[in-house]
Amino acid sequence: MLKTKMKHLLTAAAITTAFAVAPLSAQAGDKEMTSVEAGKKLAFSRSQGNCLACHAIQGGQLAGNIGPALIAMKLRYPDKQKLFDKVWGKPNTQVPNSMMPPFGQNGILTDKQIHEIVDFIYTL
Amino acid sequence: MKKTLLVALALGATATATVSMAASIDPEQSRQDLVKYFKAKNPNIDISAYKNGAYIYSADKMSQFKAVMEFPPYLDAIDAGEALYNKDKAVYDKCFGSDVTKVRVMFPRFDEKTQQVQTLEGQINQCRTDAGLKPFKWKKGDIAKLSAFYADQARGQKIHVVINSEGAKKAFLAGEKFFITPHGQLNLSCAKCHTYNAGRKARANILSPNLGHTTGFPVFRAKWQELGTLHRRYGGCNKNMRLKPFKAQSEVYRNLEFYEAYMDNGLEINGPSYRE
Ligand code: HEC
Ligand code: HEC
Repeated sequence: MLKTKMKHLLTAAAITTAFAVAPLSAQAGDKEMTSVEAGKKLAFSRSQGNCLACHAIQGGQLAGNIGPALIAMKLRYPDKQKLFDKVWGKPNTQVPNSMMPPFGQNGILTDKQIHEIVDFIYTL
Repeated sequence: MKKTLLVALALGATATATVSMAASIDPEQSRQDLVKYFKAKNPNIDISAYKNGAYIYSADKMSQFKAVMEFPPYLDAIDAGEALYNKDKAVYDKCFGSDVTKVRVMFPRFDEKTQQVQTLEGQINQCRTDAGLKPFKWKKGDIAKLSAFYADQARGQKIHVVINSEGAKKAFLAGEKFFITPHGQLNLSCAKCHTYNAGRKARANILSPNLGHTTGFPVFRAKWQELGTLHRRYGGCNKNMRLKPFKAQSEVYRNLEFYEAYMDNGLEINGPSYRE
């Protein structure tokens, strides 16, 4: 548990440093980490995002395999907005008969929560 | 192959939208399509094996299941069901006949007089109230025990649901429509879990195929530590879908049971059974 958390923090840190070069980096880094951490919590929680029910996610236990593993998200979604739209459930991103719940459209999660989750899975 | 069923299910969905078209859809075709779908999905699993739910997808879980079934935890409940039967034998025999091995196979059935689906549990309570007895509480306890007794007496016989009227067909279509329509906040349908994704895992739970859903009920679930009826399970799944469960023996669940049981035609009755 601790190990995965550490690894995760390291990844998050690596990403934030990569993007933030200005002296403000410490502050910006904190903020980004908070969002990623919040997103991870949501993605793993049974009562909220519960992405683990269907997707394998690094660091998550007892993942389902109904949907594809959430890996290399940046590679698959160079445009982060598209990833947001997918999780939100914009009609043009929906796959017919898919189990993937339209999280934003059906009000399962708020836009802020979806942004946090997207920030988190973008680190995967 | 997924396409066949999608087409079949989609056909069902549009047909139910217009009542006048109901007559053109054949429940038997739906059943055969489903059997074909599961055969194509897992060519190595014999259709007769579907009576054992999700266990058919995992050798590990199947061996655990078999170990439990050597001395199943529901034996006392069957005895208790038999005692309940004997206590009001005259009442039940008047409703269902005195051959206890022939009761489970009569249900679910469509009653032309009331134009409603009748289930075993529903009729047990109907029978009791007609005789001036207090109805049992739904979903668990005595109703499940008596139902388990009748199921056990019929063990090995085959599910045989008959649809031979417009009314019965309508009830079937209503059940089918409920099964395939997404409901609730998560936009899930029964079919998404138990047809398209049967055999996959939601968290650690392997999803059972809907073919065979009704054969083993009532079931003793480790999670419940007691017997529960099919409608209790429906309520649980509806909660998982974030859909407010309907009442046990509501028209929605009776039609759903009618649809699910018709799909199981030809499969062996093996209730009561055990589930994780
Ligand atoms: C009940 C099952 C289920 C849950 C819960 C679920 N998903 Fe999905 N997800 C799927 C399925 C099935 C697919 C593949 C079909 C599709 O794209 O709709 C999918 C696809 C995706 C994709 C597209 C993957 C790709 O390769 O393009 C992303 C991203 C995604 N899900 C993220 C999430 C996130 C984030 C959550 C939690 C907030 C989540 N999912 C919860 C079932 C689910
Ligand atoms: C989010 C996924 C999901 C949805 C949607 C869902 N179920 Fe289930 N269902 C499960 C899981 C998980 C189990 C426990 C494992 C198993 O036996 O499939 C289960 C078990 C069952 C069982 C018991 C099977 C057995 O062999 O003991 C029945 C019957 C059932 N579901 C019917 C339904 C019906 C009818 C619907 C729609 C009203 C439905 N389910 C919707 C996930 C779901």
